[in-house]
Amino acid sequence: MSYLRLLAAFFRVSLRGELAYRVNFFVQLFQSALDLGMSLGGLAVVFSFTDTLGGWRPDEVLALVGVYFLVGGIIGLMIQPGMEEFIESVRDGTLDFTLTKPEDAQLLVTIRRVDIWKLIDILMGVIVLGAALARLGGSIGLGEAAVFILMLVAGGFIIYSFWLILATLSFWFVRVENILVIFQSMYEAGRWPISLYPGWLRYGLTFVVPVAFAVTLPAEALTSRLSGWTLLGAVALAAVLLVISRGFWRLGLRRYSGASA
Amino acid sequence: MTSPAVHIRGLRKTYVVSRQEAGARATVVDLVRRRMQEVRAVDGISFDLAPGEVVGFLGPNGAGKTTTLKMLSGLLHPTAGEVTVLGRVPWKREKAFLRQITLVMGQRNQLVWDIPASHSFELNRAIYRIPQEDYRRILGELTDLLELGPLLSKPVRNLSLGERMKCEIAAALLHRPSVVFLDEPTIGLDVTMQRRIRTFITEYNRRFGATVLLTSHYMADVEALCKRVVVIHHGWLLFDGDLSVLVQQFTQHKTIVVQLGDCDADLKAYGDVVSCSDGRATLRVPRSETAHITERLLADLPVIDLLIEDPPIEEVIERVFAQGNT
Amino acid sequence: MKGLAELYIQQFRTTLAMMLQYRASLLIWMIGHVLEPLVYLIVWSVVAGTGGGSVGDYAKRDFAAYFIVLMLVNHVTYTWIMYEFEYRIRHGSLSFALLRPVHPIHSDIADNVSSKVITLPFMVAVAGVLALVFRPALSPEPWAIGLFVPALLLAFLVRFLLEWTLAQAAFWTTRVSAINQTYFVLLLFLSGQIAPITLMPHPVRVLAQILPFRAMVGFPVELLLGRLTLSEALTGLGIQAAWVIIGLVLLRVAWRAGVRVYTAVGA
Repeated sequence: MSYLRLLAAFFRVSLRGELAYRVNFFVQLFQSALDLGMSLGGLAVVFSFTDTLGGWRPDEVLALVGVYFLVGGIIGLMIQPGMEEFIESVRDGTLDFTLTKPEDAQLLVTIRRVDIWKLIDILMGVIVLGAALARLGGSIGLGEAAVFILMLVAGGFIIYSFWLILATLSFWFVRVENILVIFQSMYEAGRWPISLYPGWLRYGLTFVVPVAFAVTLPAEALTSRLSGWTLLGAVALAAVLLVISRGFWRLGLRRYSGASA
Repeated sequence: MTSPAVHIRGLRKTYVVSRQEAGARATVVDLVRRRMQEVRAVDGISFDLAPGEVVGFLGPNGAGKTTTLKMLSGLLHPTAGEVTVLGRVPWKREKAFLRQITLVMGQRNQLVWDIPASHSFELNRAIYRIPQEDYRRILGELTDLLELGPLLSKPVRNLSLGERMKCEIAAALLHRPSVVFLDEPTIGLDVTMQRRIRTFITEYNRRFGATVLLTSHYMADVEALCKRVVVIHHGWLLFDGDLSVLVQQFTQHKTIVVQLGDCDADLKAYGDVVSCSDGRATLRVPRSETAHITERLLADLPVIDLLIEDPPIEEVIERVFAQGNT
Repeated sequence: MKGLAELYIQQFRTTLAMMLQYRASLLIWMIGHVLEPLVYLIVWSVVAGTGGGSVGDYAKRDFAAYFIVLMLVNHVTYTWIMYEFEYRIRHGSLSFALLRPVHPIHSDIADNVSSKVITLPFMVAVAGVLALVFRPALSPEPWAIGLFVPALLLAFLVRFLLEWTLAQAAFWTTRVSAINQTYFVLLLFLSGQIAPITLMPHPVRVLAQILPFRAMVGFPVELLLGRLTLSEALTGLGIQAAWVIIGLVLLRVAWRAGVRVYTAVGA
């Protein structure tokens, strides 16, 4: 429970800080709208020539786009800022301030920075998702919604662990922030259903950079494509990765504390 | 009478900035209507530099030194007034003009960060079209004068602050400019490095006859390098002349250090006793009475040694600035 | 002229030295340039597959050819000057450029071209691998191959000059990211990076005629793929040349105005 209280505190601080730069709201709104426009434009062009894309109907791909923005927003809101600031703090030594605080370092590092304006992306994603589901007509039962949320959460934790593992590398290597940029590039591939891609690319986007878990699988949950086994596998993987990433984190932290005299 | 290398008349630079006050009510008002106020960075200054002069440009932070230098090098457009450098108007940024000047900024690097300085040197050679022969010769001289040898092959980011500054200065002088603007070149450096750079500037001026305008808020820089100082404060000139005259004009006291056998004698009659230990007494006396008091000391007391000094320059300058504040 | 040549040579050496320091960034940059056309290649191939083999007059292997060539052309014409310029102004390093007796664009062109010279072999290798996987259909006429080189050169010039001009916006605002993003989205749609322009809806095709984006990327690609008649190709080259001239004029105007603003306020 203290975790939630801490999270709320950081949220409030970030909010107050950002409100001083109100213009950033409009900047983010503009950029997200542009991004969405680009996605929808691409969709429109592609579906002007076909009715299905690898078995996906237009509104199903629209739902995918909604999930893409929703998850992208979540990552940009709470995962990316903290990790980026953490990597920076290793480099310039301000990590030491965090380590002397009486809360768990991993927690602090994770929630310390929040990019409030990414809420716009999340909202946009939800709206697009809602519109897509409405157009699909079929009712989303409680069961399906639950599966979707579960998949979203599992995917979220997988991405978080992935980022944490990469960020932890900065205890050993200096220029890690470049690797994070790779994630951005590969996340872009998540705009389309992963099932379209040839095997080797699908593999890369699932197990090397877990874009599939973040975007496609939750979308599949909503479009009745997700098998129970895949769901189970994803949840299990999320749990495993959370443990592994935490272990790796503690290893890195021990090394850091030992190394700095 | 040769024409001046640098000619400034009535130079003025004003900025208009928005005025923000603290407090909730003021913030609301600010949202509706932004209040502007005028900042006079340089408020009508005039002076000339003869070719080959080394002049110190003194002033506290925010006095207008850097602004003036930027106007002299063409980076800033004056609000009013006349300025020519080598007969040309700086802000026109004519190529022939740019080839003859250089600006070294104490806290900014022109050198490319991740690669050895020698690369940046070669780049400058190409930019300034320095013939190979001349380039080799000047590089050799600069390397000697600044002791650059081992530094040139190391990436700039691996150099210490002082080493980096030396390379920056060298890079700025490769094209043998006739006018050199130095903006706080010794800031942040340790005492040894400061001294070395000062020696270099003196030597450079002696060898190549370049006109040097150096800004600093370190007195030691100015003391070592410049016979003439120009003092600026709040955007206008407080003083322009010989350093020794500056001292004379702004102090009413001199210091007499007299070595006696012990500190028993009552020295109050001669002047303010600043300190006395082991017979070494420091007295502060009015400037006009120095000769007279010295005579009396020598006549009245068993003086072993006697020394007459000006007060430390820092004190002088502070007094100049303090006067400028009124 | 000889002076400028010397400058370009020195800048090449400097860029080369810098790139060797930043190998990782290079790799990431290239990954981005490969992934995007690859994704569209795959998407359109799937569409072609369900559409009875082709979309318009593009079959699967035509799409492969289109997007692989596009990848290379986009890489060659790419610039990052808009971000760099904003960085320079924000950190005051533009002042050093203003103290120099050469126009800063020369350094920038030299740096850009030098980077490409270093990365192009790798991109070509990747293109080769993709060609093996996707089997593109590429058999242009000799004259098309001949005209491709000047078309590519002109495309680079059009893109560089116009993006350099756009970069001047940093003199007036710090919100260049919004401007840049708008530009890139327009570029994406109107230069043929999402789909060959002939497949785009009518309004887009019309816009592509009057805006310079197609001249920057799409046109050389279409040319090499043998999809243009000789007269269309020559017209295209003419249009590119016209945009180069427009770019030069705009650049001069924008730079002058920008310097005036910068030297009024300083940094």
